[in-house]
Amino acid sequence: MMADQTLDAKGLNCPLPILRAKKALKDMATGQTLEIIATDPGSMADFDAFCRTTGNQMLESKQDGKLYTFLIKRTA
Amino acid sequence: MADNSLFILLCSGEREKIQMAAMMASVAAVSERPVQVFVSMNAMLAFDTKMAVEERYHGGAFAKLLNDQKAPDPILLFQQGKDLGDLKMWACSMALDIQGWEMSHLDEKLFDGPMGLTKFLSDAESGQFVTL
Repeated sequence: MMADQTLDAKGLNCPLPILRAKKALKDMATGQTLEIIATDPGSMADFDAFCRTTGNQMLESKQDGKLYTFLIKRTA
Repeated sequence: MADNSLFILLCSGEREKIQMAAMMASVAAVSERPVQVFVSMNAMLAFDTKMAVEERYHGGAFAKLLNDQKAPDPILLFQQGKDLGDLKMWACSMALDIQGWEMSHLDEKLFDGPMGLTKFLSDAESGQFVTL
């Protein structure tokens, strides 16, 4: 699934990937999707919690070695 | 009634503790949690706009690592929390008085004003309270 926007958060430490994702989502329309690519090992659990608390929808999350990719739909 | 607001009482001037306060405040704010930070004692000195950036913080071994690894400046994290969520920062009125400072000593975009401890504790009755 093609995302409407991609955020390259590789090399960023906690909490910058979450802050950058929030900033990107804020500027997107409801229903649009954001792909985030991160290397922070805590990001898998962090983005799960972020979606749970903000009401945005995690469509996909996967780990490929040290690379974590998330697809989030702005619903909130 | 309990709510999910986060109240942070920040007193330490150590980089490690200010960094953690900034991380907690910014993450909670962007996660839709209202956050209030009450800055007092040595922590106040780190927010002095007249202070050179390299003299802003002190701390231990981890503070040096944070600096060497170019971890984001806590003030930048607080500002992002304010820009992206409901984060308010208050300057302890007693600490301002003791320092002989006006609010103009602090970044006006970061601080929402002076506050007394009684009001802060009263507001914090129903939320989660963290001291650093």
